Amino acid sequence: MSSSAPLWSVLVLPAVLVAAACVLVAVESALAGGSALAPAQEAARLLVQQRRATVAADSLLRQAGIVTLPVAAVLAALVLPLGFQSVSDLGVGVVWFNALEVLAWAAVWMVGWGSNSAFGLVGAYRYVAQGLCYELPHMFALITAALAAETLRVGGIVDAQAGLWLVVWMPVAFLLYLGSALAMSFWGPFDHPVSSDGAGGAAAELSGADRLLFLAGRRLLLVVSAAFSVPLFLGGGHGPLLPPWLWTLVKTAAVLALVVSARRRLPTIRAERLAELAWVVLIPLAIVQALVVALVVLGR
Amino acid sequence: MDLTAALRAFGSGRPHALVVAPPGATAARLAVEAELHFRGWPAAASPAEADLLLVCGAEAPLAPYVERVWLSMGVPRARVQVASAAEAAEALTRAQRQLARAPVRSPEAEDRAGLDSHGGHGGRESDGGHGGHEGGEEDVAGLPLADRADDRDGLELDRLHVPLGPILADWPAGLVVHAELQGDVIQTAEVEVLAGEASEPPFWNEPWLRSEQGDTVLRGEAERRRAAAYLDSLGRLLAVAGWEDAALGARRLRDAALAGAPAAELLGSAERFARRVGRSRTLRWSTDSLGVVDRDSAQAAGVAGAAGDVTARWQRWLTETVAALGLLDDGTPLCTEDLEGPRGPLGVAEPPSAALLSLLPGLLEGAELGGARLIVASVDPDLDEVAWSRARKEALV
Repeated sequence: MSSSAPLWSVLVLPAVLVAAACVLVAVESALAGGSALAPAQEAARLLVQQRRATVAADSLLRQAGIVTLPVAAVLAALVLPLGFQSVSDLGVGVVWFNALEVLAWAAVWMVGWGSNSAFGLVGAYRYVAQGLCYELPHMFALITAALAAETLRVGGIVDAQAGLWLVVWMPVAFLLYLGSALAMSFWGPFDHPVSSDGAGGAAAELSGADRLLFLAGRRLLLVVSAAFSVPLFLGGGHGPLLPPWLWTLVKTAAVLALVVSARRRLPTIRAERLAELAWVVLIPLAIVQALVVALVVLGR
Repeated sequence: MDLTAALRAFGSGRPHALVVAPPGATAARLAVEAELHFRGWPAAASPAEADLLLVCGAEAPLAPYVERVWLSMGVPRARVQVASAAEAAEALTRAQRQLARAPVRSPEAEDRAGLDSHGGHGGRESDGGHGGHEGGEEDVAGLPLADRADDRDGLELDRLHVPLGPILADWPAGLVVHAELQGDVIQTAEVEVLAGEASEPPFWNEPWLRSEQGDTVLRGEAERRRAAAYLDSLGRLLAVAGWEDAALGARRLRDAALAGAPAAELLGSAERFARRVGRSRTLRWSTDSLGVVDRDSAQAAGVAGAAGDVTARWQRWLTETVAALGLLDDGTPLCTEDLEGPRGPLGVAEPPSAALLSLLPGLLEGAELGGARLIVASVDPDLDEVAWSRARKEALV
């Protein structure tokens, strides 16, 4: 049932993702009591602002990091299905997705290190420390979904949910996935790598177009990783009455609404506190969930 | 109209502002913050992010740092002095006009931006004045390389000399913590105060000081100021803790209290706010067992309220805010013997903030950077008090 879309969809994908990210920031800004136009103003402001560099900055590393973030997000989205069609329904889709997400580690670290500023450096290492907390639960959550569907193909995972959505019998994996998706896009309660207590952390020295690209990349990553929970756990395009593509959009919007509300409710969770929670509670939970699913799969 | 001009006209409608409030400029800072909020202009976390530099009061004690921050901001940029609270609205309008006219390309800024970017807000300290550097042969672009020393686990790691402050978002401006960092752990911390001498009494203590001078000050008026002082501290702490939404709530309440909102209305919203923040398990989890001051040393220093960990301190602010707002209609005059300001007893030789500052180095050593920021925000020394007491001592001599 699932298939790859025609080749031209490669060109449409980035535009769709950027549009989704724009809607997200506009809604967020309006909810926070600002104008929905504020993000557009912000983009205009950054386009005009001078790009500045610090002394002895590693410009090549920094620029590479800045560009990597949005590129990785868009490439990861190649396996993201709209309805039952993705740009490319790779046989190892889940692995592809995870591998590109992990590029964010390198990207943020390169930006922070390349800035040659103490706060940038601290922010960069906060992200690496955060990665050590979220990445294992994240991978276990991905594996659990793949295990239940007995395939690494994202389309296959969607097909396996024609009857029952995976979230129903693996809620823990779903929640772990969603939390780790936020941590990966260093957003909301997981914004420690770029939080204001470190003068903007990894992004402390970014201005102008550099800042715009970095922050846009982060939003794209948030949209893509949150949207990926729909084919993984929420049945993808499956649902009554509405066409599959609309179901995907509705479910994605619901997940993003959940994500936005989490940000307003929670303070930043510092990496040092997150580490304890992740290794003592989350990773064991993820393993138990995977084990339960494995036993169910073996038994059926 | 070409594209750049159009983008500029649109983008300058919502500039990011870096607010610098040297000791003694609290009233002007509050007016500027309220005005920024009213216009929906965000506060910048670093010079790189900012288009506007708003210096409240007299910049004298921080002048060289303000200059470095200014040079490290990307163009177009504008810089405005807000001399007093009354000028805030006009100054912001002026700043926006200046920004709209500011040059988009500045060769001077391109040369110097990087060099000076570290000065004001805590990059690598390049003066080498802290010893331990191996001489000039290892310098990179005029900056000495980090020296090494054993860390707490006995590993030999780079040791960076990083000044935190004096200009940093949600930080008591004028406070400099000269920290030696290994990774993000503070190994040693030295506190310096760039306060100058204030000509005005500290804003937060003003009702009590007036009563000391012999004026009749009603209890309700003083309690209103006390509640606003705690809400200001809470706003700063919540912003440092990364809870923007709650920080905004605290600052709105603070501005309402200072603007003279009716008691019943304030108390209701303060109780809701206190319940919401007080119930947050995540916030408690984030601040528990950080920066513990034991009861005896807090009492010995004369600031009993600072006892406990960061959580205990913000919880105390919450309860005291609600308690103070419950007394707004108290029409009895303040009693002049017992002058208890928001941060501790007044009318003694040293202001309470001097005691708070003396606690800081001990609390900061061994803390990681994020924890250190929370500790400073939870102690929240009022440098206006320090500047005022210096001025008074000067006057006595």
